[in-house]
Amino acid sequence: MSAYFFSIGATAAIFILLALSLNIITGYAGQAMMGHAAFFGIGAYTAAILNGMGVNFWLCLLAALVMAGVCGAVLGVISLRLQADFLAITTIGINFVMVALFNNLKITGGSLGLNVRKPMLFGARMTNTHFFVLTVILIVIVCLLTVKMRRSWFGMALASINNDAAAARSFGIDVNRYQILTFTIGTAIAGLAGGVYAHRMGFIASSDFAFVISIQILSMVVIGGIGTIRGPIVGGILLSFLPELLRFADNYRNLVYGGLLVLMVRFLPGGLLGEGSPILKLWRRIRGKGVGVHE
Amino acid sequence: MFLQQFINGLVIGSLYALTAMGATLIYGILGILDIANAGAYLIGAYLGWYIFYATGNIALAFLLSMAAVGLLGVVLQRLIYSPILAKPRTLSIIPLVAAVGLFTMSSDAVRLICGAGTKAYNFKFPVDAFHLGGVTILPSWVLIFALTAVLLLILWFILNRTRMGLAWRASAEDAEISRACGVNTNSAMALSYILGYGFAAAAGIMVGILYNSITPALGEVPSYKMLAIIVLGGLGNPLGTVIAGLLIGLAETLLSVYTKIPIPKDAIAFVVLIIVLLIKPSGLLGQKNKV
Amino acid sequence: MKKILAMLVALTMVFALATAGMAEAADPIRIGFFAPVSAASAAADGQSAQQSAELAVKLINENGGINGAQVELVSYDDGLDTTEAANIAEKLSTADNVVAVVSGSYSSPTRVAAPIFQDYGKLMVSAYAVHPDVVNAGNLIFSQSFPGAVQGTAAAEFAVNGLGAKRIAIVAVDLDFGTEQATYFKAKAAELGAEIVSEDYIAISDNDMTSVISKIKGEDVDLIYSVNYYAQASEVCRQVALQELGCPILGTEGADSWQLLETAGEYANGLYITTNMNRDDANEGTQAYIENYRSTYNMEPDMVGASVYDAFQVVFAAIEAVGTDAEAMAEYIQNMKDFDTVTGTLLSYTSNGSAVKPVQIQQVQDGAFRHYSEITDAAIINPDSYAE
Repeated sequence: MSAYFFSIGATAAIFILLALSLNIITGYAGQAMMGHAAFFGIGAYTAAILNGMGVNFWLCLLAALVMAGVCGAVLGVISLRLQADFLAITTIGINFVMVALFNNLKITGGSLGLNVRKPMLFGARMTNTHFFVLTVILIVIVCLLTVKMRRSWFGMALASINNDAAAARSFGIDVNRYQILTFTIGTAIAGLAGGVYAHRMGFIASSDFAFVISIQILSMVVIGGIGTIRGPIVGGILLSFLPELLRFADNYRNLVYGGLLVLMVRFLPGGLLGEGSPILKLWRRIRGKGVGVHE
Repeated sequence: MFLQQFINGLVIGSLYALTAMGATLIYGILGILDIANAGAYLIGAYLGWYIFYATGNIALAFLLSMAAVGLLGVVLQRLIYSPILAKPRTLSIIPLVAAVGLFTMSSDAVRLICGAGTKAYNFKFPVDAFHLGGVTILPSWVLIFALTAVLLLILWFILNRTRMGLAWRASAEDAEISRACGVNTNSAMALSYILGYGFAAAAGIMVGILYNSITPALGEVPSYKMLAIIVLGGLGNPLGTVIAGLLIGLAETLLSVYTKIPIPKDAIAFVVLIIVLLIKPSGLLGQKNKV
Repeated sequence: MKKILAMLVALTMVFALATAGMAEAADPIRIGFFAPVSAASAAADGQSAQQSAELAVKLINENGGINGAQVELVSYDDGLDTTEAANIAEKLSTADNVVAVVSGSYSSPTRVAAPIFQDYGKLMVSAYAVHPDVVNAGNLIFSQSFPGAVQGTAAAEFAVNGLGAKRIAIVAVDLDFGTEQATYFKAKAAELGAEIVSEDYIAISDNDMTSVISKIKGEDVDLIYSVNYYAQASEVCRQVALQELGCPILGTEGADSWQLLETAGEYANGLYITTNMNRDDANEGTQAYIENYRSTYNMEPDMVGASVYDAFQVVFAAIEAVGTDAEAMAEYIQNMKDFDTVTGTLLSYTSNGSAVKPVQIQQVQDGAFRHYSEITDAAIINPDSYAE
């Protein structure tokens, strides 16, 4: 049973990392990013290609991070020109174009995909348990980074971009620079997650990074609670384990999954643990912190 | 031959325009990207199939299916979308997640109820094809052109010549001010969904006839492609949507036939979109940013 | 939330008790299975695979099981998702205690699952996945399907030598299924002296063949090689007829489905396909499968289902002969010779586990797939002849 748990766990951890990174762009900076899987894919393919050349695992991860971050910075520059929903759909477009490229370029293995050798750790092949632990460590690092970002000048700048970019600008905050930086950080982490993913799966193909995956990551953020750290984590755990938990529903699995998405958004649009969620209020009341807390 | 390919592109383009019209009308009023519109397209195609199969009357299939799916749209708007939008400070991606959930449910419900296998419409036209000087024209294309034109004319009439339409246009311009001036924005929303889902249903049936096949996966391509079309048309602009639909239909067909670009047709819509937005960030016919 | 959880737990326990009550007294032989049942785009194949798996198990149990033991199917839906396939492979290997696994899924899920089964020492037989690396996962992994090389080369042989085509247009789906077969088809056709006039690769989601066929019409070809699944192949047939190209079409096992006959109707008549299933085979097993499938599911069987059914027959034969030890079963399968299956005589397996069997040429006549000819040339049908 535990091997099965760590198999789902490793995937769940990778998706939590993706959800956290998307949350930096969408939750904190308020930028509608709907093509996150494209950067996940850029990282995964970068790592897989280098793996094929015999490059060390850790260097592959670093390269995945850098490559996705650089591409994300370009998107950041583009995002300055586009408003809300126009940006959302441009990012969807980028997702489709990237998947098309992955599926057609020679270097990405075309429609056959790429094989990735499992990396060695202390002389043994890395297992799902190792990938799980590694990803959890990365999650902790990203959480700490996010907390630090929010507490610094950077975080305040982001919050003001999210609320009112014009006002932020008038305070002398270099909105453009911070917006590009957010895209760079968010996509770089997605690329890192891609690097881990490629090695954990041992095989990647273009369909692993399709638009539905972007939607899945976005759903995790929204269901958990956008703009918080706990939200993407809970959302990531929930939506990664849900398909497995719903196996009892057998043939009705997707129907139930879709229905749960609708119900959760309908009744908890702020997410399960977002600001103002009833669950959170209840939790705070139990812990005696409910008094004086206002949303 | 160029003329043939041009006509091929126009057929696809008309279908795109009709498919995306629903999403445009809904965006115009509610400001949400309603992927579930593709679910209406799928359900419409299947309802139409059952009605046609039972009665043998294609006109009845169109009318009943459009009406039923349009009503379903209003129900969803009342039960799901409006309550979500009524919450303060809702990010535009939140109703999108609900739409994704609804779309997933519709595909799966169709698979479970109607079966995983393909169904054939088997609608027989009196002639198989017209051949005019080397150009082939299929009767299903004529039907698509004619129906698209009729539906768009009806839409134009409703939006520009009725009180409901006036309310729709006022609400699309500025919902807050319209409400303050006594415009019933609720009925404008209902109108968006009736027309939007009804049009999607009609498009679904037409695609079913065109390819003589419907499957539970029918809605997958429209679910994202229509987003490209409504944005290209300037988000919430019906006329822009028609132009964008035709443009994408033509671009896909002509580029895939006459060039050797290594990307599939499906991605062409988005390449066109990205290029247009980089030049004109508010779309082809977008006057202002609605944020 | 707690209430819901409690309810879920209660529900699961009820299910568990109910199913436990039904279990047989004797230890059944558990065989794992996965197919893309819930993925809308693959659901028809998933259903066909699932039903054939259930039929295979039902029939063997009605005949007294294997060496007196009943067979139990442990099946999962992979949703055409590689991460789900990886989870399922772990679960089948560690929690479900299966002795062997049949993959009824596509290339990507099967490709991801294969090395996991190999690592856990579980035997896996892939029914119809075409990815060439599936069998390279190790000695316990076998494949019943033709690699793209075999089917593509056989198709070229038939197109040029059988139908005398000199100018050929290729329309293929841009997945491994399409590109692999097209690549080997091109090589063999060129060797035989035919000219490939055009090549078009179409996304799986794209149903529109109108513009491609219009383009090919201007090229004056004498054969169209359509490496597409049934929905696109149907549209190729329809457009070729409606635009009056008047040239024959050669399809692949991807078109081998009742769904093509349904949607292309009369326009499918004359279509040739390369496939593994011979519906006119007098072989008892083949006819029994077809009859049983029809009567149980009220549906026509297809290539996908037949391949899954075969994969089970291979596993059953191995268990019957050598028991449930994976290495012993693998050795037995590796040495199988002239095994009669629903998809023709399985001549042998290559050293890395690919089935060697003749390629069937079927033709649609009066709305049904009929036997046309067979390609048995060892240089073409043995996947080992393509090893670099």
